[in-house]
Amino acid sequence: MDYSMLCRVIQGEVIMGIFEKFKKFTRKEPGIKKFCIQTIRFRKLLENARGLLALLADGNEKVLGEYILDRHYVTSLVDSTVERLGMIIYDACVLAPEFGETLYMQYDKHKRRAGELISQNGIRDKKNMADDTNISSDPEYELLSDVLTWLNGESSDPGATVIDFMRQTFVRVLKHLDAGNNSKVELLLANNISKAPGSNMFLLDLWEDAVAPSAKPHSLDDIKCIPLKLLLMDTDGGNLSPLVDDKNKTATWIATSSEYQLSLKILEPDCSFHLEATVSGHERSDFIFIFADASINTENILPQGFLTETTDYGKLAWKLDATSKAIEDSLISIGRNLSQKNV
Amino acid sequence: MSKPLEVLLLDDEPIVGRRLKPALDKIGCHVEIFESPIEAVARIDQKEFDIVVTDIRMEEMNGLQVFEHVKKKWPRTKVIIITGYAKMDLAREAMEKGIFDFIAKPFRPDDLRQIIARAAQALGTPIDLSLIKD
Repeated sequence: MDYSMLCRVIQGEVIMGIFEKFKKFTRKEPGIKKFCIQTIRFRKLLENARGLLALLADGNEKVLGEYILDRHYVTSLVDSTVERLGMIIYDACVLAPEFGETLYMQYDKHKRRAGELISQNGIRDKKNMADDTNISSDPEYELLSDVLTWLNGESSDPGATVIDFMRQTFVRVLKHLDAGNNSKVELLLANNISKAPGSNMFLLDLWEDAVAPSAKPHSLDDIKCIPLKLLLMDTDGGNLSPLVDDKNKTATWIATSSEYQLSLKILEPDCSFHLEATVSGHERSDFIFIFADASINTENILPQGFLTETTDYGKLAWKLDATSKAIEDSLISIGRNLSQKNV
Repeated sequence: MSKPLEVLLLDDEPIVGRRLKPALDKIGCHVEIFESPIEAVARIDQKEFDIVVTDIRMEEMNGLQVFEHVKKKWPRTKVIIITGYAKMDLAREAMEKGIFDFIAKPFRPDDLRQIIARAAQALGTPIDLSLIKD
């Protein structure tokens, strides 16, 4: 075979290879792919929320008065907040498009408030130059204090602070995602996806099943996902609680996972429980996030060290900035608690 | 009693001088604060400071120009640059040109005191930070 023919054969094989992959890609069921994309987008939303909480924590640390900071720091904090909040709203609108107009209207209000805060800076600075020698009234610190009030101060007006707006947005998204729990089970069954043998849980590989759902059910023994392994370590064959009043009911769960990430949720019409976790050994990226609706007693589920926020719809709980060991231990405890019928 | 370290502190943000001067006084520095680089440079022409601490971004003259001026006039003087996050690359470039160190805002006064203590050590006039009473 001469060189040019060899090239043609190789090119042909390459083209055929791409074509086969393309065929495989287009053969996938759009519903499963959509579900996986939704899972990834929700994690993006969490990542952006984490970024926003980090900005708030940084501002809270700086406002204590120990730091030398300038206007640039405060305006950067405001800009970064607006940018991060914008990402959250974008994610939320992708996940729950029906709230798009409402969310963007509220976001615009926050952008306007941010603009007012920054322009207020100039006024305060002039005032300061005129007659101020008192350290406690440095205009930079006064502005930072105002910015933190906008971020997470006391307000009776729902959504008036950035953090409350973020909280409301989360609740809207979670409600939307939970609304289709029945159809998700139907979707999985329609794609011949069955629960892991011996368990009440569907297992989906976030990347592989999005491209081509596996023909046979994933077994708990085949799990590559570190957080899921930890979660199921002390459970009885991967059977998790129904979390509803009827403890004898067999509830359906779904775990969508990759090597380091786990998205776990219950697929019941009257119950909402979400767990998102990353366990990669990198402390800055590892976390656990949980949402449990108001019917679930989270005291029986959550180990110590979680921050919580209660909303009308349920409780948000998260553990960030903890050691990898603490995250791992928490996941084992949560798994153990979720496998108890009395939770 | 040893001679106090002569420090010139230049930043066009009034908060910097106002908050740093008391912190540096506590470690026995004699601090002169300036908000205008032109006025600071005029003072540098008159007096040899042990340490010059300057912001990098100012309107009339930037911190690197101040550094060049100090280096030409008083080669022994140690220059420390204050910078924002956005100017970190510029600060690293300044390190290659011979500034003693840089510090990024926001920072704690003690972070700067540590750098000043190292500069004092390099000048042969060490200071004892353990004596600070906050």
